[in-house]
Amino acid sequence: MSARTLLILLASLTGLAFFISLLAGEHAGARLAALLALPGHDALERELLLALRLPRVLSAAAAGALLATAGLAIQARFHNDLAEPGLIGISGGAALAAALALAASWPMLAVSVAAFGGALAALLLVSHLARGRATATLILAGVAVNALCGSLLTLLISTLPDGALRSVTFWLMGSFAGSDGRQAWLLAPLAVAVTVALQRQGRFLQALQLGDRAAFYSGFNVGRNGAVTIALAALAAGVVVSQCGMVGFVGLMAPHILRRLTGLHLPTLLKLAPLAGALLTLLADLAARELLYPAELPVGVITSLAGAPFFLYLLTRKRPSHA
Amino acid sequence: MLEIRRLSLRHPAPLHDISLACAAGELTVILGPNGAGKSTLLHAIGGYYPAAAGEILLAGEHLADLDAGRLASCRALVEQHPARPAGMRVADLLCIGVAQPDPAILVQVLALSDCQTLLARDCASLSGGELQRVHLARALHQLLASKAPQRYLLLDEPTAALDIGAANQQLATLRQLAQRWQLGMIAVLHDVNLALRHADKVLLLKDGVQIAHGDTAQVMTQARLEQVYDTRLAELSDHHGQRAFIAC
Repeated sequence: MSARTLLILLASLTGLAFFISLLAGEHAGARLAALLALPGHDALERELLLALRLPRVLSAAAAGALLATAGLAIQARFHNDLAEPGLIGISGGAALAAALALAASWPMLAVSVAAFGGALAALLLVSHLARGRATATLILAGVAVNALCGSLLTLLISTLPDGALRSVTFWLMGSFAGSDGRQAWLLAPLAVAVTVALQRQGRFLQALQLGDRAAFYSGFNVGRNGAVTIALAALAAGVVVSQCGMVGFVGLMAPHILRRLTGLHLPTLLKLAPLAGALLTLLADLAARELLYPAELPVGVITSLAGAPFFLYLLTRKRPSHA
Repeated sequence: MLEIRRLSLRHPAPLHDISLACAAGELTVILGPNGAGKSTLLHAIGGYYPAAAGEILLAGEHLADLDAGRLASCRALVEQHPARPAGMRVADLLCIGVAQPDPAILVQVLALSDCQTLLARDCASLSGGELQRVHLARALHQLLASKAPQRYLLLDEPTAALDIGAANQQLATLRQLAQRWQLGMIAVLHDVNLALRHADKVLLLKDGVQIAHGDTAQVMTQARLEQVYDTRLAELSDHHGQRAFIAC
């Protein structure tokens, strides 16, 4: 499929999913009337739509865009198709740092900064451990870092009072239920900024597919460009974890599906990944809300239910392209 | 002119006091036994390994002072085992490292490297020889699309995946390219007879030490090659005076 066709298709589907997600549930008709501000619409419904539902849908789309772009960038940087923020310890590091910041009652922005720090520290640790070794080492090092962060997180959670314990546990499972305007205003501009910044690394990441040395010979400062890529990916994944918890496998599934559809051309993939990620999380959030209505599932459960078998499929596939 | 003056390296393999010069339009071949440091020297000339001592001058400028972008405009390198990125089309690979792809140059490069029919192929589906040709075309595209006044092509065993006839043809084509585009070329080779036939200059390397450097005919003597390769050789020549060596 040509990149242009896919871009139009993805943009249309994401727009449609956004719209459906905005209106879905009971009173969809009233919500539509409120959205369009039709005569006689319910003012309270409109207020709820703009104050709760719109930020939630916007947060879900932005988080998906950030996770997919981060996943694609990390896979390209480490020449490893299986690298994903949740699998290589970035989300674990971010969650631990964010939980520590939450326990210390830091304000929301400071929690996000802490999560970015945790994500970056985990990513640097994992990439240092895997440097010069087989590509599978990156995943194994990630498993170890995830286990360590998970244990420390459990230790921290076990010291929390009951109410806080429940909310932190629910947050960790990944959810957009608590999304508000502040969160949407953090995630949406960040998604645009990270997407634009990573697109500027597109030619570098494309050259990197020939190897670090070949990228240098092609005119790129691999150290500097690589550091920028890693920092942006850690920022994207860290902030999403701090705001929405663990929404796993989006950074694995979106790039893989796109590579399968358009081939390995990083500048194109970086344009498409935010849309594909947004579409996946919008659908996952919709499923989380509607599957067991009126109860609500954590969105991380839905993405993991889809993503874990996808990961197993990639593992058992005849020949992963880099791993 | 690309000049290497008393270059020494500690990592990844030691090199001691290497000096050579390569002018535009010239093919210089680095020869030596396995483990002599030929590829290390080539990558040091490419700027990948920093010199422990000595200097490399590219058109009068110190190589160490040039950033990666400037370097790429005046030198390109084709690796011994070039990457075969699955899912990437040959047409996309050919534009890597080219800031502004030039269709006119690309057409010429494709014809010179015989890659016209490969454009839509996935790199993973290429044979060893096709992959080498595609990477050569990419490196040429990178160099020829740049406006640098002096340009150098570095080749690490460019004939490794080729049969005897194709290897001979490849070297002949490279020489023509060097002269036509006034490119300086430095190639690492294993085949002494290919070097003897096509190189303008030869550098003989053993255990990281330069044994000789200069015009091919003067450097490649039987005694010197026997010393470098630790083996007895016999020298043959045809009625055109073209020499060749075989191991005894």
